[in-house]
Amino acid sequence: MKTDDLIRALAADAAPAPAPARRVLPLFLPAILVSVVAVLTVLGARPDLPQAMVSFVPVMRHVLSLAVFAAALAAALHLTRPEGRAALWPLALIAAAALALFLWAYLTTPPEARMMALMGKTNSICLVAIPCLSALPTAALFVALRGGATTRPVLSGAVIGLAGGGAGAAVYAIHCTESSPLFYVTWYGVAILAVTAVSALLGPRLLRW
Amino acid sequence: MTGTDDEWAALLRAALAGDGRAYRSFLSAVTPVVRGIVRSRGYGLGEARCEDVVQDVLLAIHTKRQTWRQDMPVRPWIYAITRHKVIDAFRARGSAVDVPIEDFAEILPADAGPDPTERGDMEKIIGMLEPRAAELVRMIGLDGATAAEAGEKLKMTEGAVRVALHRAFRALARLRERHVE
Repeated sequence: MKTDDLIRALAADAAPAPAPARRVLPLFLPAILVSVVAVLTVLGARPDLPQAMVSFVPVMRHVLSLAVFAAALAAALHLTRPEGRAALWPLALIAAAALALFLWAYLTTPPEARMMALMGKTNSICLVAIPCLSALPTAALFVALRGGATTRPVLSGAVIGLAGGGAGAAVYAIHCTESSPLFYVTWYGVAILAVTAVSALLGPRLLRW
Repeated sequence: MTGTDDEWAALLRAALAGDGRAYRSFLSAVTPVVRGIVRSRGYGLGEARCEDVVQDVLLAIHTKRQTWRQDMPVRPWIYAITRHKVIDAFRARGSAVDVPIEDFAEILPADAGPDPTERGDMEKIIGMLEPRAAELVRMIGLDGATAAEAGEKLKMTEGAVRVALHRAFRALARLRERHVE
């Protein structure tokens, strides 16, 4: 087929198509709802959820997780354009805030209680539950952004995983009764980074075009 | 005919709103520029393979046209797509070596040959589509039929032709992806 013939054929298909960003909400919203329902029915909300949501240290689990979600999603959307550059400094800023919180908790926790606060009682559940709760939201983001045209598929996959992991962690925090930053910065962090690593590996496969 | 970025943006904007004529002008205007980049960046692929890449880029521009943000310049977008497809072409070629024929240019007989933009790769992939879709793409591309005329021949409504054509290009893009791997 000649190039001019191809152009003629392509021009006959000039129907408007939706931008990838428009597909995010309709796919992501049901996915995150499934995760919320799963936490409420299988694990159950922590009994003192209303109080936990208004005191600074426990609510930071939600705030930091949602901040990671928002910043990573913004980066992922930028990267759907082939010439797009992702601003990663907001993510670095959030990481710095989390580390500052961790450090503050370290200094204000008595030395003999530090190890217990760090390990908590539920770190193994946390490490399993966050990736599970992140799976569907992450998959939804991959499906939505597959219509994009990233030229950096590993980075795109990573920020999609970071967004899904952040969303999953925010949902898990509804259940989680551990309130020390020593615990949640560490274990939420590890769980989110695990989702990020897997997604980075999947990026080149799922986002190729 | 290269045009300024504003002219390209105006054409592409009209195309995204459904103007097929503007879309064709847009694709025709960007093709020589894309060809230039592919040839300079894809030096070593060989001229024939370069035209395959040009067609790949056009197909990618088509299936990914919604990733252009209307408030952004068009050129960087086109360049990024082109670069991506040239890299793909090198990856697909793997370790196969093309002997550059420049060294032999003087001793090889000049070959009037077929049209250099006539490429077999796309034709091969079109052949992998389901027969009806392949016929549709050929009818509109090669014979210059309109959607209405193609519909008449294939006993489909014009709307159905448009949907089928749209699906055919998405399938083509997917087939090309697999082709690269």
